[in-house]
Amino acid sequence: MIPAQEILMDINGPLKNLRVLEIGDFISVAYAGKLLADLGAEVIKLEKPGTGDSLRSHGPFPKDIPHIEKSGLHLFLNTNKKSVTLDLATKGGRDLLISAAADVDLVISNLALDDTTNDPLTYESLSKENDMLVMSSITIFGYDTPYRDWAGTALTATAASGASMKIGNPDKVPLWLPYCAADFQGGIHGAIAALLALRKKRQLKQGLHAWISVVEVMASYLGGSGVPGFVFQGVLGSRDGTHRSGFYPWQVTPAADGFVEVITMVDEQWKRFINLMDNPDWANDPRLSDRWLSFQWHKELDAFWHPWMKGKTRSELFKLFSENRIPFQPVNKVDEIVESEHLALREFWHEIEHPVVGNYKIPGAPYLFSQTPWAVYRPAPQLGEHNDEFFETRLGLNASQRTELIKQGIT
Amino acid sequence: MPTTTDGPLSGIRVIDHGHVWAGPLLGMSFKDMGAEVIKIQSPTGGSGVSMAGKGMAGTATRDAVDISDPMAYHAFDRGKKSLSLDLQSEDGKEIYKKLVAVSDVVVENFSARVMPSLDLGFDVLTRVNPKIILASLSATGATDGPWRDLVTYGPSLAALYGIKSVLGYHDSDHPQEDQADLDPTAAGHAFFAILAALESRDATGRGQHIDIAQGEACIQRIAEPLMDYFLNGRVAGPQGNRYPATAPHGYYQTSGPDQWISISVRNQEEWEAFRGLALQNSENIANSKFETLQGRLDNQNELDEAIESWTKDYTAMQLTKILQKSKIPAYPVMGALDLVNDENLNSLHRTNITVTDENFSPDSLYRGVIWKLEKGQGEITGPTPSTGAHNVEILIDLLGYEETQVLEFQRNGII
Repeated sequence: MIPAQEILMDINGPLKNLRVLEIGDFISVAYAGKLLADLGAEVIKLEKPGTGDSLRSHGPFPKDIPHIEKSGLHLFLNTNKKSVTLDLATKGGRDLLISAAADVDLVISNLALDDTTNDPLTYESLSKENDMLVMSSITIFGYDTPYRDWAGTALTATAASGASMKIGNPDKVPLWLPYCAADFQGGIHGAIAALLALRKKRQLKQGLHAWISVVEVMASYLGGSGVPGFVFQGVLGSRDGTHRSGFYPWQVTPAADGFVEVITMVDEQWKRFINLMDNPDWANDPRLSDRWLSFQWHKELDAFWHPWMKGKTRSELFKLFSENRIPFQPVNKVDEIVESEHLALREFWHEIEHPVVGNYKIPGAPYLFSQTPWAVYRPAPQLGEHNDEFFETRLGLNASQRTELIKQGIT
Repeated sequence: MPTTTDGPLSGIRVIDHGHVWAGPLLGMSFKDMGAEVIKIQSPTGGSGVSMAGKGMAGTATRDAVDISDPMAYHAFDRGKKSLSLDLQSEDGKEIYKKLVAVSDVVVENFSARVMPSLDLGFDVLTRVNPKIILASLSATGATDGPWRDLVTYGPSLAALYGIKSVLGYHDSDHPQEDQADLDPTAAGHAFFAILAALESRDATGRGQHIDIAQGEACIQRIAEPLMDYFLNGRVAGPQGNRYPATAPHGYYQTSGPDQWISISVRNQEEWEAFRGLALQNSENIANSKFETLQGRLDNQNELDEAIESWTKDYTAMQLTKILQKSKIPAYPVMGALDLVNDENLNSLHRTNITVTDENFSPDSLYRGVIWKLEKGQGEITGPTPSTGAHNVEILIDLLGYEETQVLEFQRNGII
């Protein structure tokens, strides 16, 4: 349980000596910032005065009533961060950002490159007063590429990477990876680029700029493009709906009360599955003799064993498959994964107490460190909660200077 | 061919027990950024194989890796060193511990039982070298629990952890197959975690064990429906191409068969610009229901139909250029054939291919190095080693064994 107003825990994460500014908007940079902050880095999130990061207006909200402190996506993605309002669209705001960047190790950004056309927030301008500064930019299309100035979202990146053309029914529209999965990938790889560049900085004794392209992450690291398979093997990835071609079976199969993922390349596992169904005659059908060729007959082959699956619930099937070491698992819904006994034993869900929202849970640590653990030291900050600390202590502004900034709408 | 690089991880030595996908990709990430990566393989073959290729574009293969299949063979082990070692034998364990003593990181993606059962769990490794960082990637984590020893693949794990339940068409509850990206998602989180542990090790001199459950790293991406469940008790189903609080948001048919354009409009300002462009050719978009975000969300089927009546007269790239001129997020929905000629993606990949050998063509279509550093950029430094290719170098030069001892290890099947 996180104390509402103060931090009672000592910060012990592996990145506790790292000081970071987060600029930009929405999921990708916020996830990068969260990964750093949850491992102990001090992350100051600079937000637009008045409305803040658009995560705050996105939701989901308790009872669907919009409130800038209550958006679920904000509450998850901004844990452990400090919030400062600063309008980077103004010259005054950008100047203050450069002053603040003099006193940090790292700036992470997903700003579109032309967001502030007249005075772009490039590495060169941000490092004016700090030649040891590292900046990591999360871009959709890349930093020195033909489409660098094009606008993009997680949807754009998923489409551009090639991943979608292999997801969905061949007779219907291809599907994206829902809930901005591509932005989460941008966040993780933007955070990796930041730590790599920090290491390089110590070798060079000089700061540097690093960047990633979300399209490239999805196409290359995630294997979405399908290009190597096409070039080297002449295989064009296809959309196979609830199935995947390649080998058989690989599909989402209906059970009595939902669906089960059925996939195996390993013959021993397939034989154990056949055995579980009391070795029916159809198992000797020649169309199953080489399961790498079987997909073309999947409709006929499915008909042999789908009725057996439909006659059992997911939990009955899961028990049978687990006991027989068969890698078929139920499609759990979000409430079912939340109720998972295994995740409870892992203490995965993390309970938080927030001064405005009250108590709620969030998904917890993506990794368990034995010495310097992931931790939530404080809930997501309220908009501008750390303005005093930032403007007075860090930037040394006095009260009348602060008033002037407020008057000009800079904070 | 360069054997060392000025990548940021130069000077870091990694022991790589990776097999199949997540582990080898993690090792490759270290190698591409300048680390020395030693892949441990069984002297008798069989284990330690990275799978790729055959019809599935880098995910799995029906055969053992075949050197005549350049994509499979070089997919994840490029530039690594190979040490063949029988970890069941006492001599093998001894050699292994000597290697641990001079290494920084050990990565493994066995099931949680394997390393402790070899008597090479973290408690043993840390006694040999207190600075060592051991990263264990398993499907469900090292904690005792009902799922600890599950036999699983990425796609079944995505089902188990709820990720698959939201992938499908919004008018059906039947999930669609995914692109099977749990392994690389876990590898990315593991890479980040190890880099963070190196920061703390450099400061304190102490390594640690990192237990990474692939399901827990990957479930982060469905935080939005999870938060909706926690805050409202609502259980999301398949989403199609829709996204909460955003409309229009989807893929729309263009003039060619199975050719689509992605369009996402983030705010009212972009909507006004989009509407202005669409109105020039399609009056359907003028419908007053579409004026506000709420109106668009409430009438999404009609909105999508109106948009498609406009988009179907253009090629995806024509319309992309029109929309991008007004800063509206858009791009064709690309297939592998389109991507071969994609100017933007190719310009990303062409930057750092430096390897040439007969099995490893300097073709721009290998996976490039995705983290771009202004100085000290990573690079691909060599082909995949054959099993045991670096036994002599590692045992004699690095660990100080005599040549006669190495010969005896060979005779006894230790290496």
